[in-house]
Amino acid sequence: MTDEEIQTYINDILEILADSSEKKVTREELEKEFKKFLEYGVPIEHAKQTLLKKFGGNFVPTSTERSLLADIVPNQKSINVISRVVTINPKNVTIKGEDRKIFFGILADESGTIPFTAWNNFDLEKGDVVEISNAYSTEWQGAIKINLGDRTKIEKTDDSKVPESSIEPKEYKIKDLKSGLGSVEVTARILQINQREVDVNEVKKKVFSGTIGDETGKAQFTSWHDFKLEEEDVVKITGGYVKSWKGIPQLTFDEKATVKKLDSSKIEKKDISAKKLPIHELVEKYGALDVEVEGTIIQIKERSGLVHRCPECNRVLLNNECNIHGAVKGVTDLRIKLILDDGTGAITGIINRELTEKLLGKTLKELEKSKTDEKLIFEDINKTLFAHIIKIRGNALGDDFGVSIIAKDVGLADFDIVSESERLIQELEGL
Amino acid sequence: MKREQAWRIFSGEFNDSTVEIEGSGEKSPSYVITPLGSKVNRLFAIGVLTDVEHVSESEDMIRAHISDPTGVFTLYAGRQYQPEATEQLLAIEVPAFVAVVGKARTYQPEEGTLYVSIRPESVREVNAETRDRWIVETCDHTKQRIEAMIEALKMNQPNAYDLRKLGYSKDLSEGIVTAIKNYGKIDVSKYISLVKESLQYSISSKDLFSPVKEKEKPREEKTLKSKEEKVESSEKEVDDSQDIEQIVLDVIKDIEGEDGASWDSIVENCKTKKLDENMIEEALTSLMDKGFIFEPVLGTIKTT
Repeated sequence: MTDEEIQTYINDILEILADSSEKKVTREELEKEFKKFLEYGVPIEHAKQTLLKKFGGNFVPTSTERSLLADIVPNQKSINVISRVVTINPKNVTIKGEDRKIFFGILADESGTIPFTAWNNFDLEKGDVVEISNAYSTEWQGAIKINLGDRTKIEKTDDSKVPESSIEPKEYKIKDLKSGLGSVEVTARILQINQREVDVNEVKKKVFSGTIGDETGKAQFTSWHDFKLEEEDVVKITGGYVKSWKGIPQLTFDEKATVKKLDSSKIEKKDISAKKLPIHELVEKYGALDVEVEGTIIQIKERSGLVHRCPECNRVLLNNECNIHGAVKGVTDLRIKLILDDGTGAITGIINRELTEKLLGKTLKELEKSKTDEKLIFEDINKTLFAHIIKIRGNALGDDFGVSIIAKDVGLADFDIVSESERLIQELEGL
Repeated sequence: MKREQAWRIFSGEFNDSTVEIEGSGEKSPSYVITPLGSKVNRLFAIGVLTDVEHVSESEDMIRAHISDPTGVFTLYAGRQYQPEATEQLLAIEVPAFVAVVGKARTYQPEEGTLYVSIRPESVREVNAETRDRWIVETCDHTKQRIEAMIEALKMNQPNAYDLRKLGYSKDLSEGIVTAIKNYGKIDVSKYISLVKESLQYSISSKDLFSPVKEKEKPREEKTLKSKEEKVESSEKEVDDSQDIEQIVLDVIKDIEGEDGASWDSIVENCKTKKLDENMIEEALTSLMDKGFIFEPVLGTIKTT
């Protein structure tokens, strides 16, 4: 740190003290103590606060100390930050029967980014740099979130306090992408890309969207700018942010981002496959694109097995009646809805006819022929599958009732009792 | 609202629990906290259903016991609120391997004493293979809790945030912290040996019966096959406890008939196969623990 910079800090301190303090301290005294702190490697902001406290008595409460976004932990109160609004979106919600408009988005500072919810309208806009005091943090869908409520004060401040250039993009693997991250850098292979046109404020705009993947997983993306992306490209995308739909992360970026094409061997296609993860992780993430989970079937849900669907809307009929279309002649189908539980978490699995046939080793036709009684077939499925360990691959979607995985593939898990026991015995020796 | 996961937990750990935390809100669930930090609202267990009986005269409530390698789970079910599970329990002929999904329940007769039990949501008969898989899976989960507990006890101030950074789930991290708060310094060595014994048990039961079990052959064939083996093995020196158990089991099957085999006749018959009384008794105890035989009346043995 140059002497000039130190002098700015000293000036700062003296200015605050002049307004508030009874005690008098000379510039030399202050400078000596300040430099000593720096010699000992005390962070500059902390040194400043300590000196303010020392010479300013109790006038400067600790809660005005600025936190860096990266240091915020769940359930913290009286948080003060200076940050840049990366994104902000309105949302209409009903709270205790009352319709309200809230805002959610992403804040960033030089330490990182954090999702926020503003429960009141603070007139924030994208790109604003603001001083926020008296905010609080919570944990939501596995991520730390900052809340701006009734007691929160927000003041717009000088752009240079958090210049855009100071927000360093952080590198993420795809599996770690979650809603609310901003200033993200991802290296990934474009697995699929589509182009469409949308109206933005009555102007037609091209949007590019599809899926990307790396060796840790897959995600969706949306680009609001034509970066001439093509399938099979391996690219480094810097300066995106993450939204999500039903828990599926969506990397979003526009002309402000940089996209650099890399050698396509950097991420080989064969290294991208559905990643297996424990169920609690999926529940905490709220959802994911193309993943694999393994667990025990601890419940086969009602209306599994032989079902009749409405020919109009495909809904499953109850007592030969469709919720929407009334009494109709149903189309016979086979499906299973089950609870998959691995001891760490539980999700609903939805298995279509083709995969149900594979799992049961019986076709719909065979089932129809053998037993016409749907209850017997349900009982039979229970007998065959209950308490068995299976794996399911597919997209996992979250909603208010939990996470459901729509099976793209399903099979009995490989579980070798003897080798698994031997592994455990060995590992126990180390404890 | 999140569906509560079903913890894999041995009765030996579950029954040691003396802590329950009540949810604060109207609909928030309550949890039994085990000494290893499981935060149990629901659990999934497999073992031998040994008995089902009516608790009250009106026959509204039943009590059942399910035995695993570390102890016994107690189940209470009522006709009114758990009609399905109650029917299922009454319909199964004991002893049998059963899988149960249920909620953790507690009973506190006085301050400082807490008894835990399971209120079953569903019960189904399963085969030995499925039971063995559950044992190994439960060993794995218990081991992970032991590891998490060891990590937490190393910390100056055990906290969920740092545990989660080590990769443990939110629920386990919170459970571990609550466990330390309530149980103090937990003796993990007890649970390490509990897991080790269960693993030994699962391996030995696997070695003993795997060829037959995997193919799910009918019982006649099973007996036939082991008879052939027996002819060979009785010639040889019997040195392995598993062989002894197999011989004793075959003897019981030979003579049990409808009513079971008397203790004395088993000992008599086994003696002709060059086994001494100590070996026979040891084998009988072990077979009973593993759930292959049981004692319907004192002094009479039947196979399961």
